[in-house]
Amino acid sequence: MAAVPASSRIGEAWQQRIGALREYEVVRDGNVFGTNLFRSCLYASEQTEAQRMLAALLERYRNRPFEEVFSGTVEENEAGNSFSLRSRHPIAQARIDPEEYFTGVWRDLTLVHGIGKATERRLKARGYATIRDLARHPRFRPAAGRVIRKLEEPTSAGIMELIGSRHQRSHPMVLGAAGFHEPEDFVFVDIETLGLFSRPVILIGVGTVEGRHLAISQYLLRSVDEEPAALFAALSHLSDDRSALVTYNGKAFDLPYLQERLAYYGLGVVSGIPHFDCLHFARGMWRNRYPSLRLSALERELFGIVRKDDVPGQMVPEFYDTYLRTGNCGPLVPIVTHNRQDVLSLAMVFFRLIGETYGNC
Amino acid sequence: MAIADLLHQISANPVYRRRAVHTRAAGPELPRYGILEASPHEAIAAYLSGYGIRLYTHQCDAINACGRGSNIIITTPTASGKTLAFNIPVLSRLAADNNSRALYIYPTKALANDQLATLERLAGYTGIDAKPAIYDGDTPQSKRAAIREHARIVLTNPYELHQVLPWHVKWQFFLSGLSFVVIDEAHRYRGVFGSHVSFLIRRLLRLCRHYGSDPQIVLSSATLANPAEFSYNLTGRTFEHIADDGSPRGRKHTILFNPFYDGIAERSTLNETKDLLLSCVKSDLQTLCFTGSRKMTELVALWAREDAKRTSERLAATIASYRAGYLPEERRLLERQLKEGRMKGLVATNALELGIDVGSLDAVIIAGYPGTMMSTRQQAGRAGRNGRESVAILVAKQDPLDQFFMNHPDEFFSRPSEHIIVDSENPYIVSGHILCAAAELPLRPEADSEFFGESFTAMTGDLVAAGLLRETRRGIVYTGRGRATDAVRLDGLSAESFRVVCSGNLLETMDRAQAYREAHDGAIMLHQGVTYIVTEMDLASHTIRVAETDVDYYTQPMKEIDLSIIDTTEKKTINGAECAFGDVEVTERYTCYKIKRKDTVLGVEPLDLPPLTFRTKAFWFVLPTAAEQRTVSAGLDLAGGLHGAEHAIIAMMPLFVLCDRWDIGGLSVPAYGDAGEPTVFVYDGYEGGIGLAEKAFGLLPDLFSASRSLVRDCRCDAGCPSCIYSPKCGNDNVPLDKEATITILDSLAGKEEEKLPLQEGGRAWPIAAIRPD
Repeated sequence: MAAVPASSRIGEAWQQRIGALREYEVVRDGNVFGTNLFRSCLYASEQTEAQRMLAALLERYRNRPFEEVFSGTVEENEAGNSFSLRSRHPIAQARIDPEEYFTGVWRDLTLVHGIGKATERRLKARGYATIRDLARHPRFRPAAGRVIRKLEEPTSAGIMELIGSRHQRSHPMVLGAAGFHEPEDFVFVDIETLGLFSRPVILIGVGTVEGRHLAISQYLLRSVDEEPAALFAALSHLSDDRSALVTYNGKAFDLPYLQERLAYYGLGVVSGIPHFDCLHFARGMWRNRYPSLRLSALERELFGIVRKDDVPGQMVPEFYDTYLRTGNCGPLVPIVTHNRQDVLSLAMVFFRLIGETYGNC
Repeated sequence: MAIADLLHQISANPVYRRRAVHTRAAGPELPRYGILEASPHEAIAAYLSGYGIRLYTHQCDAINACGRGSNIIITTPTASGKTLAFNIPVLSRLAADNNSRALYIYPTKALANDQLATLERLAGYTGIDAKPAIYDGDTPQSKRAAIREHARIVLTNPYELHQVLPWHVKWQFFLSGLSFVVIDEAHRYRGVFGSHVSFLIRRLLRLCRHYGSDPQIVLSSATLANPAEFSYNLTGRTFEHIADDGSPRGRKHTILFNPFYDGIAERSTLNETKDLLLSCVKSDLQTLCFTGSRKMTELVALWAREDAKRTSERLAATIASYRAGYLPEERRLLERQLKEGRMKGLVATNALELGIDVGSLDAVIIAGYPGTMMSTRQQAGRAGRNGRESVAILVAKQDPLDQFFMNHPDEFFSRPSEHIIVDSENPYIVSGHILCAAAELPLRPEADSEFFGESFTAMTGDLVAAGLLRETRRGIVYTGRGRATDAVRLDGLSAESFRVVCSGNLLETMDRAQAYREAHDGAIMLHQGVTYIVTEMDLASHTIRVAETDVDYYTQPMKEIDLSIIDTTEKKTINGAECAFGDVEVTERYTCYKIKRKDTVLGVEPLDLPPLTFRTKAFWFVLPTAAEQRTVSAGLDLAGGLHGAEHAIIAMMPLFVLCDRWDIGGLSVPAYGDAGEPTVFVYDGYEGGIGLAEKAFGLLPDLFSASRSLVRDCRCDAGCPSCIYSPKCGNDNVPLDKEATITILDSLAGKEEEKLPLQEGGRAWPIAAIRPD
């Protein structure tokens, strides 16, 4: 019997159904309870404002060619062509004195398996001042030996794992492992995507310290087929042995997302790179001081930065999708600005965290 | 002997004797044992000898075939030891190869829970390091990573698998070692749902290939008519069929029980079922009673307990109900009590039909024909484990379909199991899963078309044009803004859930349609035999508040169905009948409810509920005036003819569009709309439509003539399950008029001039093949 041929109705039907999916909830303004209920939500006024902005952008950038709006460079790598935008921003830095930091670490007996706060107090009262002293202790000698071996040949990843396994991940001493790095080792990363999971990354912002500046490279996809090249180019910043990744909520979002996209294209995996997720440290330090720890809220509190014409993060997919469908690059403008500010604020927050924790601004 | 007591009672008691219209006994069958080609792993051999298990023929066949590397489909009856037949080869493989892993897919969470215990026992006894674990919606986030990493047997369900596949990177380790995929209760995957599952399996196999594994597949299914075709369609692979059942059977008595034997029926099917259940329990028979709905389940259990109380409280405490909607702890407890023998009579909806291993049962009562022979055999098969004598009783409803079997017992006993139809080419379903697959790994036409069939290239072209896919140097990638797996729903069910709360405690949850039916204001709700009255139905917060009450009546809502045409996409005339395809809206209104005590109506109360609406795609046709006149002037019933034609067309549709009968809905109206024209609608049972009516619309002339042949060539007098009786009719197959149906179908098929003599055996269509239900 004859089958009905696959008709063009199908593409259309899926377009409608998929276009109607939202990964955020719009809540009534002032409904603070609503914002807690949903994983990702947006106030109705923010949504309206963003939609108005989108319409204005489409109008302003109509018929303006991409190259005229964005002056970037095209580079070829083994995964194809990538397009990047470069910028430089002055940045205040903070350093940790490794010696001072280490003194503190050696004195923390609770890093040894089996020792809690109370035991530590008793041990200190009996003259065990540092972990080294425990090498003489009849009961804790083996466990202390394991810690000593790790501390004597320290790497930032090893120290973070050791401290993170005995304390909370947001413990200031975990952040202190940054003291093993030169400022040039830090790679600040923030990504923009087409959704919360399993869709293309559309923009990868990478910041590195150059002297007194933060140099930002943003790998922007002119079309989705540039994704593998953009991933490849962005990750080349992490290829140095000394590199350390710095993100804001990157342990939960950016890194797994990048890993998934790399695996999607069969481009290998990122592993073993020390990773400082500033959200964890910000929680530990500022949870009770500031009402919101979203990066855009924190930068306002800490540095007085107020974003103008910003696209809400939740609506980035809609903006980019509009660019894909219309070819009008207007919707990309606020995405690029948003991401650049995210990378810059991330670096500023990171150095502020170090400064406040180790008082050495 | 308790069975003898019951049989004696049925033949001696005049009430029972008249209603038991037919009794047939079969068996006993002696066991037949098989021979293994290779000796089993020593741990398995120790397990078998420890429990004194000798493997039956079909179990050995299954193990031997798995050992040869074949995919297998096992279709032996309920309780023949199918689970052991595939657990042995799986565990042997895990024992022999440390990297080896297995995935078990069950249609429900409850079933996975039950099988987990079995696997844990087997792994525990043999010491094989299988670490079986369930991974589903209830698995806590904190345990998920460890399960992915350590479990070597993962049990899940299709819904969870659909959500898991996009995260395959995290499952890399598991998938790269996957050597078996076990799909239990595979007959559940039929029609539209089956098509979805078939592509889900293809997506899984595609990821396995990516990670370098090529698992063998085991399908375990109820007996069906087309195992080779079904297994191929469901998975895209070829299978060895294991069917030579060597398990022993005790003597089994099957009784057809007709409360309507005299055409009057003093008492309802429910009441008669309750009496039979009590007689069984009093004869000390552990009894399982299947009913067609949640409410029937609760009522039969409640009435049986009330009656039993007159004899003894202890007896009453051994009767309970079991159905979907109960909280997991409640279900677990009931299952345990039944297995331990503390529960004597359990009344269940067909949730229990799914092979939950409840141990040995002596009697099964089926209240109303469940719609397919496959289900009937599954349910009846629950009686008579461990080779003991058993009894199965089918209690008929008033529906002509049930009555037909009561009057034609030979048809009942000789009827073949149904064909299971799975379409692997429905464009709506294929395209959805192509989107999901593209989001999992870039598509490569040369390598991936094997999974998605011939339309792959055309389909991807369409989706690229719609901006949902894009061709890149690394294959075709997904570029949709929403998550593909969110857009593709495996079952078209709404996720809406209403909470039933009694003084702050959650009693159960139900979807909107169910809430309207069973939990409207004033409704009497039954839960575990306790009576509750609905005090408030809060539609905004999806909360239903109930209070315990002590009344002896129950409620039954009355429903009106309306269908309106939203948009006509296409029109054509076939043999003088105006036919159209387009969008329709089906509206259900609950307008009032009846208050009833047993079978007596005490009163009727109005209801004020917003209508339930459902938009879908339909085709419809208007009967030509000439045919209408011919029907009426011959003194035939027009409504019964349209209704019969609708049923016949729906019966034939699965053959033409490869779906399940339950995927399609229909409505026949003798005077539709302002013009008052006799109209028949046939629509997709899925919100938004899923291409069934659309495909049928393109094949209408063939569909009409096939439906005509079906009814015309059927040898029955006034309609039967093979022609115009529907197992899923919302109006209990009333009205139906076979002659009027033939007149109408003659007209639709353009054959009204021919006066063909009815030929013996001259069926144009293989009748067995077209009755999926």
